[in-house]
Amino acid sequence: MIAAVVAGVAQASPVAKSLVRIEATSQEPDYKAPWNPGEVSGGVGAGFVISGNRIMTNAHVVSNARFLTVSKESDPKPRQARVLFIAHDCDLAVLAVDEPGFFKDTAALDLGGIPAIESVVSVYGYPIGGSRLSVTKGIVSRIDFQTYSHSGMDSHLTIQIDAAINPGNSGGPVMQNGKVVGVAFQGYSGDVAQNVGYMIPTPVIKRFLKDIEDGHYDRYVDLALSYQTLFNPAARKALGLKDDDLGVLVGSVYGGGSADGIVKPGDVLLSIDGLPISSNATISLDDGTVPLAEAVERKFKGDHVTLDILREGKPQQLKIALSDPWPFNLHSNVYDEEPRFVVFGGLIFQPVDQNFMTAHQPDDLRLRYMFDFFIEDKIYKERPEIIVLSGILADPVNAYANDFRYAIVDEINGTKIKRLSDVAEQFAKPADYYVIKMAGAGRPIVLERKAVEEARKRILSRYAVTKEQNL
Amino acid sequence: MIAPCPAETTVPKNSRRPVLAACPNPCNNTTPGSVAQAFQPVLEAVHRLESLCHFPAIAGAIFMALCLPAMAGVTPQPAIAPDKTVETSNASILRVNSTDQAYDFLRPWTKKAPFSRRGLGTLIEGGRILVTAELVANNTFIELEKAGTAEKSSATVERVDYECNLAVLRPADPAFIAGMKPMALDRGVRVGDRATVLQLEPNGEIAQTLGIVTSIAVGAYPLDNMGLLLFRLSAPMQQRDGSFTLPAVRDGKLLGLLMRYDARSQTADLISSPVIEHFLGEAAKGNYGGFARAGIAFSATRDPQLRRFIGLKEPGGVYVTDVLTGGAADKAGLRKGDVILAVGGKAIDQDGNYEDPAFGRIAFSHLTNTVSHPGDTLAFRVFREGKTLEIPVKMEPRDHSKILSESYVVDRAPRYIVLGGVVFMELSRPYLQEWGGDWVKEAPQRLVFYDAFQNELPQDRDKIVFISQILPSQDTIGYEGLDNLVVSKVNGREIRNLNDLAEAAKHPVNGFQKIELEADPGVLFLDAAAIEANREKLIKKYALPALQRL
Repeated sequence: MIAAVVAGVAQASPVAKSLVRIEATSQEPDYKAPWNPGEVSGGVGAGFVISGNRIMTNAHVVSNARFLTVSKESDPKPRQARVLFIAHDCDLAVLAVDEPGFFKDTAALDLGGIPAIESVVSVYGYPIGGSRLSVTKGIVSRIDFQTYSHSGMDSHLTIQIDAAINPGNSGGPVMQNGKVVGVAFQGYSGDVAQNVGYMIPTPVIKRFLKDIEDGHYDRYVDLALSYQTLFNPAARKALGLKDDDLGVLVGSVYGGGSADGIVKPGDVLLSIDGLPISSNATISLDDGTVPLAEAVERKFKGDHVTLDILREGKPQQLKIALSDPWPFNLHSNVYDEEPRFVVFGGLIFQPVDQNFMTAHQPDDLRLRYMFDFFIEDKIYKERPEIIVLSGILADPVNAYANDFRYAIVDEINGTKIKRLSDVAEQFAKPADYYVIKMAGAGRPIVLERKAVEEARKRILSRYAVTKEQNL
Repeated sequence: MIAPCPAETTVPKNSRRPVLAACPNPCNNTTPGSVAQAFQPVLEAVHRLESLCHFPAIAGAIFMALCLPAMAGVTPQPAIAPDKTVETSNASILRVNSTDQAYDFLRPWTKKAPFSRRGLGTLIEGGRILVTAELVANNTFIELEKAGTAEKSSATVERVDYECNLAVLRPADPAFIAGMKPMALDRGVRVGDRATVLQLEPNGEIAQTLGIVTSIAVGAYPLDNMGLLLFRLSAPMQQRDGSFTLPAVRDGKLLGLLMRYDARSQTADLISSPVIEHFLGEAAKGNYGGFARAGIAFSATRDPQLRRFIGLKEPGGVYVTDVLTGGAADKAGLRKGDVILAVGGKAIDQDGNYEDPAFGRIAFSHLTNTVSHPGDTLAFRVFREGKTLEIPVKMEPRDHSKILSESYVVDRAPRYIVLGGVVFMELSRPYLQEWGGDWVKEAPQRLVFYDAFQNELPQDRDKIVFISQILPSQDTIGYEGLDNLVVSKVNGREIRNLNDLAEAAKHPVNGFQKIELEADPGVLFLDAAAIEANREKLIKKYALPALQRL
């Protein structure tokens, strides 16, 4: 009787033929003992079949995965899957299933457009509360830019819905009129806000699918500049603008980014690719009013964007080739990468990134400053990587180095340390003394080669260090 | 919380960031909170430069009142006989009631609510009364009250030094202290000596708590992370009215003033008699010089690998890690990397201590800041690149006018300028401390970093001028919510302090006040004529007593 009811539900939803339950076994890298393989954990998410016998899901469902299975509603037997493409900056991934015939009785879902505000959508997935397919229903509440918490740094167009989205919904399709209008991916827990769930809308999904057409995923491109609204009448007059509520003022242009050297702070951006920019930093695209950044969001590496600007009162047109600004990645969560480190004389050296900061939560002010203002203060110019003495495997050789935890390495034997490979290089050079100078005031750490060599085996075995470096 | 669905949960950035400008609960200095926090890692202080580091926890404890456990039914008393000599000490002590009112650094045109502190003052020679500086910080009214008779008289601060936390008061009416007996300083204190902390019973009788001097060391004083000599006393104190400042005596002589008390470990930190003596000696001069600083940071040389590397054969010495630009050591020619072997003829050990004939091994900063006076010359024996040099250093106090972000602003109003609703201030630590005890993490980080690393910044300005907030008005439409932005130029002129800004504002360009900022949004414009026309409206709307205070 129960079986019949369940089968009946499954038949009632045409989406059931397209939906898969994804079980992922992943391994989280250990940034405190970076030579360790890390903790193994499991998770459940949803996915759906798209054209080309592929399965779409969220990047965070399959990040750091060591083993993946998918199971269909109609056939609960798990089949092994593998990641074809993964885009951590927009939290999307495409999976393949190698077992022949897996896709035979499935139906690929088509992508729709941006659903209207207040229109009804259904969310499919495998959220907590049971193990089988769950459907929740709600309306489109808001269309706006939101930070994608998977990377923690990237913001893209996002649609907020009031249907319940819970752990396990991730990667599941949000449907309207038989078409996918989004991929459920994040939400607030009930103690912060009620009925606030987010889905990745189809412009972001379509961009991802187009990006991977050439067999490779490039990251999102960005102008790498900041701008401010231009409401103030005095500011408008001073900049030589009409009282037409158009234009935004450029605050910073970040070094190494697409606009570096082309746009200048103080420029007024009037239009982008011919689309007038409102003074509240929005433009009108086919889908309505969207943030100005959306004009760039839909483009790809190497594409161009045309800006009409006002510089010192004179109109100009600028053409900018788009690229992805690398210094920004420092503030992004990183996945599918082993932590990088060098161990020498029991001292652990690591490059600072978001993963490092999350794992260590250092209080050191200088370290926090360099991390927080890496882009704004152009610290990357002097230090493409911030190398920090992240830990000390206590041993007689480093008995007096304890005060230097989380200090930033400035020089080793007189050579400026710009990246982790510089550290390895300096320690590989024969020298009687290794003199490590830290940023800011402090004495150098001095290690005698003899002492380091003597301590090496002892430290490795005592602390079960399986690897002395990963560059 | 944002919940990416499989098991993990992360919070999106900005999700619940509190609105800082409207900090609802700025540090309430009057709260007698956990006194235990008031204790600082004393040894650490010695190894850092007096001026280059900061003690975040001290900040919160600056004006922490002495909080003692309430009197219990059973009174534990140490098994030591009471000191008979103190029974007449009430002839030397007075109650001091100080009404204090600090400025509100978030609204620099206003003062916070007044509150009062009650402590004990000790009569010293010259008809003056010695108290801690904390007791009378930001005072608006000081009242002396005789023990027993409750006879009252007002008093004024004759000399105060917040670095050593001492003040001398003078009664408005000299006759008020007639018949009282000044107390002399005890100069012979040693570890292991017994001392008595005095309190007053409501009836004016002396309450004594006997204690033992357990250690004598250089430690952190509340303000300006100055390291000065402390006596640590083990004594089981009890709560009594007016215990903010208490004298500790031995054989009828004053050995120190109680500055901190930790109820859990029953230990008290005393401002020591050598520090009091130095303060009084300076106060007696026409030109008060205070406490000198060498202006160096150093670290220990215990690591044999370091010693071998620098070729240091002497048994002691400390490694100079930083020299404050323009400080005494800098002027004398000390450099980073020098190893200080001796100061004033006293050998310095690997940790920076010397053997004091009276107090044993204590930090050599006692020699530089307390034993010697500003203007004295101390010989530094220095090991540099294999050679030993003798460098005379003329000791001098810190020049407060040259401090970029001051660590304390007491008895002084914060400076500000309001230009068309945009509020400009000069960065100081009290501003950041308005974010409460955890200000290092909670206060605007850009400004925290400016304060912390001020000695590393290019020396091209006197102060960090910043926009602390916007008072929204017709003239600031679109700028609402901007705060804590460092100003670089106004109307094309470099801004090194608020006076520069006041001058620059007199020269609008093309009718606009152009304010250039170090961070986004980069530039703000105000209509010079409009803000002038709206002056009175702004003053009235926000009840500002004045649009600037310089």
